[in-house]
Amino acid sequence: MTARLRRYTPFATSGLQSLLQYRSMFAMTAMTAAAGAAVTVFLWRAVYAGTPGRGPGGFTVEDITTYLLVAQILQVLHTNRVDDEVAAEVYRGDVAVMLVRPVSYPVMRFFACLPVVGANAVLVGLPVLGLFALLVPLTAPRPADLLLFTVSTALSVLLAFCVNLLTGMTGFLTTNTWGVRMVKQSVVAFFAGQLVPLALMPGPLAALAKVLPFRGMVDGPLTLLLGRYDGWTDAAGVLVQQAAWAAGLSLLCAALWRAALGRLEVLGG
Amino acid sequence: MIVAERLVKEFRLAERKPGLLGSLSTLLTRRHRVVRAVDDVSFEIPAGTKTAYIGANGAGKSTTIKMLTGIMTPTSGRCTVAGLEPYRHRQRNARTIGVVFGQRSQLWWDLSVPDSFRILRRVYDIPEPVYRRNLDLFRELLDIDALGPTPVRQLSLGQRMRAEIAASLLHDPAVLFWDEPTIGLDMVLKDAVRHLVNRAHRELGTTVVLTSHDIADIGAICDSALVVDHGRVVHQGTLKDLLRTADHRSVVFDHRDGTAAGTVRARIEAGLPGVRATPDDGGRIRVDYPAGRYTSRQVLTFLLDHFDLADWYAPEPGLEDVLRKIYGRARVPGDTPDGAGRTPDGAA
Amino acid sequence: MTRTMMRYLRLAWFLGGVGLHRLAAYRMDFVLGAGAFLVRVGIQTAVVGLVFRQVPAVGGWSYHEVLFLLGFSLLPRGLDHLFTDQLWELGRKLVQRGEFYRYLVRPVDPLFSLLSERFFHPDGLGELVVGAVLVGYAGSELGLSLSPVQWVLAPVLVLCGALLHTSVKLLFASLSFWTVTSMPAMYAANQVSEFSAYPLDIYHPSLKALLTWVLPFAFTAYVPCVYLLSGGTGLLGWLPVVTAGALALALTVWRRGVNRYEMTGS
Repeated sequence: MTARLRRYTPFATSGLQSLLQYRSMFAMTAMTAAAGAAVTVFLWRAVYAGTPGRGPGGFTVEDITTYLLVAQILQVLHTNRVDDEVAAEVYRGDVAVMLVRPVSYPVMRFFACLPVVGANAVLVGLPVLGLFALLVPLTAPRPADLLLFTVSTALSVLLAFCVNLLTGMTGFLTTNTWGVRMVKQSVVAFFAGQLVPLALMPGPLAALAKVLPFRGMVDGPLTLLLGRYDGWTDAAGVLVQQAAWAAGLSLLCAALWRAALGRLEVLGG
Repeated sequence: MIVAERLVKEFRLAERKPGLLGSLSTLLTRRHRVVRAVDDVSFEIPAGTKTAYIGANGAGKSTTIKMLTGIMTPTSGRCTVAGLEPYRHRQRNARTIGVVFGQRSQLWWDLSVPDSFRILRRVYDIPEPVYRRNLDLFRELLDIDALGPTPVRQLSLGQRMRAEIAASLLHDPAVLFWDEPTIGLDMVLKDAVRHLVNRAHRELGTTVVLTSHDIADIGAICDSALVVDHGRVVHQGTLKDLLRTADHRSVVFDHRDGTAAGTVRARIEAGLPGVRATPDDGGRIRVDYPAGRYTSRQVLTFLLDHFDLADWYAPEPGLEDVLRKIYGRARVPGDTPDGAGRTPDGAA
Repeated sequence: MTRTMMRYLRLAWFLGGVGLHRLAAYRMDFVLGAGAFLVRVGIQTAVVGLVFRQVPAVGGWSYHEVLFLLGFSLLPRGLDHLFTDQLWELGRKLVQRGEFYRYLVRPVDPLFSLLSERFFHPDGLGELVVGAVLVGYAGSELGLSLSPVQWVLAPVLVLCGALLHTSVKLLFASLSFWTVTSMPAMYAANQVSEFSAYPLDIYHPSLKALLTWVLPFAFTAYVPCVYLLSGGTGLLGWLPVVTAGALALALTVWRRGVNRYEMTGS
């Protein structure tokens, strides 16, 4: 098992290497994230401005600020470039070249994106968090919640990988993956609760968001971080739902990948 | 038509270290080193000639062509094409020249070839009769119609090159710069391309500057040669002159003596020290001799004296051999090759 | 001078025709792009709607006023999108892959030559239509009636906004002449432009200053909307100055970048 995994470490290191060549990339990703966070944070802070204590959805001003800021940072962790790179490789036909290597393409992609996630967390996530901590008051989480949040974040990264891989694989179907990616980005951001917490959505919309897998990408981890759950069973429920979706989507990815390869062979690459 | 005076082009290259740690360190610091791609180059290409611009990889060919086409500004020195400095008068120069860079496309990536041509017609203000005439010519020789409505980015290399070549000729340019124009073309199309450029030269007096890794292209198109190496001109003149600089000549002969090939070879190499004799499969002998040490008269006299010659001929020195020699010699430090630094006499 | 102008106008007209022609050839792509865009604006509108479920006004702006602003912000963006989308390619790869040279060997202005490759980008049409619908709907809900001067100025405001978007895009795309690729910078600037879809009054003062004087997206939607909705001229007087300044700066950087351009590799 370890020997098999070791085969994939070069993909992880080379992924990091190619990333580090663009040092400006991190500064810009950070700026993008900060800008994105600022729009939602200030929009919702304006809503809570007139309400002291707990406002709509049971959030305080600090809570909602923390929620939206961390939501944006989670989104940065989920931007692993898998969707555009897979789409581009499918489009250019480079996927055929990948097939001759003795490794599984989706697994290789997963390892290649891990360092991207790590680098984004350290070089983008932390500075943006620090910047906002200076500007606006935030809620400090309890240590236990922080632990739960960490586990939940790891699962959310896996979820995001699957979603992005599926998005990238639409390259087998259409050349305009740009449009598909834009739809994915908007829909995921909305139903994950990145722009509006699920607690502030009207009943039917919230119900829909709760059964979709995207909820586990932002709203799930943040529910745990802010301690917005009823006892341990409730917290475990969030994690179990995430894990179940992660497993389900992984299986879906594997099945669709096989199907796509069959199609590729028929088309002759 | 084309004049280069003491042309120099330098680049600053960022140094990257290999490996993961190397990438990490380039994140923090970046060192530069200066590379002189074109080193004090002067030459003159008269109007109506077809010049092969020859040099090994990294010899500064492409850089010089980029300066002549106005894409790059020289670090120092100047060059003119039809009296204009290309990098100063880019748009006016662009009307005079036609360009093909084999490695890169200059067509409208998302459009089909016919659409690209229609745009080029407007952009270059090509008169209708000229456009029609050239289009007919391309149809006949390059089978342009077969490219159909496919966007350029989806064409194969060979198909794209046909379109690129046609695009460079569409506006009857006075000067053609072709950098590796026959990449990806099969024999038939190569012939068509050679035919096209020679026809333009004959009928319109087009000046041609060509670089190619395909020696056959050079032989079939060019009458002059400009050889650069390591950023310097090492030869300029007609292609025939260049071939004359070969330091070896050869004679191939057949004989009726019945002497074993090995003996023949030993006898020649003993009688003419420094000469190499190689028997081929058909029983013929090839004799290569240094041009400086022996005259052809000496060699032929020796052969006539010692063998009963049935047939003989002297092949022209190969361009490839000449070039291999030139590159090798220019690499020896302190050696000043002929033709370098020749000062041209004013603008064309 | 006028002859050159006429020549470029004729070329632009022709290229627009080619662009429309291509639109027909890539109908599926267009539908997908336009659909994606509709989804995005739809979600943006939904977020605004959800915000106003909680409170009647945000930063002194009512629901329909914010919708008006959101819709108006799409107009200059769409107009800019229609003509200058090829700048993204410049920032992304044209310098990196050494493909930029092709604009220097054509007998037209390099900027025109560059933009000509994706003239009349259909996605821009989608933005214009959606923006106009939103503005129309919100305007009628608000019972807005513009004075004759406002009617005359409105298209000028959209045009200035589009020029501002173009200037910022051109400036950041031109950085690629120095940095080889400037995609992240362009992307970040584009992200910042999203701020213009909401009232500036809700932002931190430093952010408000940034959007007004550094990356002046405030002038693309907020300032015009304040004028159209309330008649308050406030910063409106600065609009032509800022537009001209941004355009001049962007063109300068572009020119210097082109001069500096060196092709990668051989």
